Amino acid sequence: MADVRDIMELEQPPAPEITRESFISEKQKKRPFNSTKISKRPEGMHREVFALLYNDNKDAPPIFPSDTSNGYKQTKVKLGMRKPRKWEWMPFTNPARTDGAVFHHWRRPSDEPKEYPFAKFNKKIDIPSYTDSIYQQHLQTEGWTKEETDHLMDLARRFDLRFIVMVDRYDTEKFPKRTVEDLKERYYKICGIIAKLNGEKKIYHYDADHERRRKEQLKRLYERTAEQMEEEQFLINELKKIEARKKERERKTQDLQKLISQADSQGETPRKTEKKLQKKKLPNPSRPSRVDTTHILQAVETAGIKFPDYKNSGASLRSQRMKLPANIGQKKSKGIEQMLQEMNLELNPTPTEEMCQHFNELRSDMVLLMELKTALGTCEFELQSLRHQFEALNPGKTLTIPPQLLSGNTDNDGNKAGGTGEIIDVVGSPGTPAGSMT
Amino acid sequence: MSLPTDFGPDSGGRMKGVCIVKPIVYGNIARYFGKKREEDGHTHQWTVYVKPYFNEDMSAYVKKVQFKLHESYANQNRIVVKPPYEISETGWGEFEIVIKIHFHDPNERPVTMYHILKLFHTGSGNDMTLEQSKGLVSESYDEIVFQDPTQLMHHLLTNTKQLTLGPWEHNTNFEEKKKKTLKSIIEAKQKVKLEIVVLKNRLKLAKEISKSQDNQQFVV
Repeated sequence: MADVRDIMELEQPPAPEITRESFISEKQKKRPFNSTKISKRPEGMHREVFALLYNDNKDAPPIFPSDTSNGYKQTKVKLGMRKPRKWEWMPFTNPARTDGAVFHHWRRPSDEPKEYPFAKFNKKIDIPSYTDSIYQQHLQTEGWTKEETDHLMDLARRFDLRFIVMVDRYDTEKFPKRTVEDLKERYYKICGIIAKLNGEKKIYHYDADHERRRKEQLKRLYERTAEQMEEEQFLINELKKIEARKKERERKTQDLQKLISQADSQGETPRKTEKKLQKKKLPNPSRPSRVDTTHILQAVETAGIKFPDYKNSGASLRSQRMKLPANIGQKKSKGIEQMLQEMNLELNPTPTEEMCQHFNELRSDMVLLMELKTALGTCEFELQSLRHQFEALNPGKTLTIPPQLLSGNTDNDGNKAGGTGEIIDVVGSPGTPAGSMT
Repeated sequence: MSLPTDFGPDSGGRMKGVCIVKPIVYGNIARYFGKKREEDGHTHQWTVYVKPYFNEDMSAYVKKVQFKLHESYANQNRIVVKPPYEISETGWGEFEIVIKIHFHDPNERPVTMYHILKLFHTGSGNDMTLEQSKGLVSESYDEIVFQDPTQLMHHLLTNTKQLTLGPWEHNTNFEEKKKKTLKSIIEAKQKVKLEIVVLKNRLKLAKEISKSQDNQQFVV
């Protein structure tokens, strides 16, 4: 409150004048007061809690709630000083009622002479009527007599087109039992014909068949048993699985195709290098070693390993170019190492230009070979499982797998099993296809 | 070493498309004392070196060669500015020596080699030969490739003099080794390629079968 007074510059209590005496005496008074009252943190009390008790001015904590003034409680808001308006108990009539009954309700006298406000919700539906002659000329249909039609129109009028109620109240003793759709179909047909006769353009057409089918469908959906629902879920899951498998298979075929085309492109290189070899067999060592390396660098880019291009200008060591790129994984480099050892090759051959090229190509081919072996292993495994599936589905028949694809009889090819393939045989293939390298 | 004045360190850019290769040999020889030396426990005398593969004066383009020895050696970084680029020491253990070759043109980055100082005979090790007179030799061949050298460097690289008039030989017969290794690599390459073809055909076959089987499965 005092702050507000300050801001509004209302009456300010006169500030006590500061004299030398008062200044000094206050200080003298205060100091002993403060020092005694600042009690120490009681043992066992958390520092944080203690800090809550003591604020900056280091007052002693209050012993009992001191906030006795009104605080946040404001005096009640005074809303207008006018007198309240009156309510009166008054009679009214509802135009929807035909009997003219009078009811009473509370209302302000001020807005009196108005119609009953809810009367506007009393909508009357315009049910078409027809004369005998119109009926004879236009409305005759098979399955409906005039009496029944009249009954239908009467019900429609009575129940405001609530067809469900109409079906319920239908006179089934005189007339055959009808469904909601039957009634609707007949009613809207009559409406349509009469509207046409009156020259209206837009005619509502009721599609009873569609409606019947729709209800039938809903009924069936509603009446499914738990077993049926389970089966449906099961079938949906199966479908999903089949589709996933199909996708997976397509992906694999694509991968395989890529690998094969890689191998194809690799297969062409031997001829090229052969030619190159003959051209520059045994380069004269005493010849000044100024060779243009660019064409070789391009040839190094093979499918298995991408050796970086050393086209950057500057001085470098040839042996650096034989380093495997960093993206070759531990497994691959181990595989390369093992293959090299099995072929009795050095891991770091003398780095001449030619050696570099061939060695890099060799290792690139090795990686491709390893990938092929892995793929083949997977393929064989899949073929086997495919055969089992096939045989289970078609008893008596067998799926013939060409002998060279059966991993069991690799010895027939004249190769020794095992060896280089073993370490790179990643997938759980039934056996390792033996390399032709022995 | 007389530098022609028209090629300052910053004269001109690099010569695009030019590639100069300088083969080198680096390594060490070592000889056993025959016993452990009393004062310091050293057992071997060794020499680590870098020399040109061909008979030429490398100082034409090499400013200095830095040998970084094991930290237990006094003055760990040894620098040699003229041929023969070598350091002789005694010791008792093997360690990796970092050899860094700096060139006259500061625009060419120095090249670094790593050599494991070899003192003892081990069963394996391909690039190690033994000659009775010289003790143990362990040396490697490498090539410094100058791609697009600077003009100054190009000039220096192409104007080298012979180092000695006498015969220039190495402890290791690299020519024969090169030939042999290259031959075996090419053979291995052909083997691998052959195998790739075999595997590829098999893979193709497998793919066709599984494909046809797929179609059948859909029919069934």
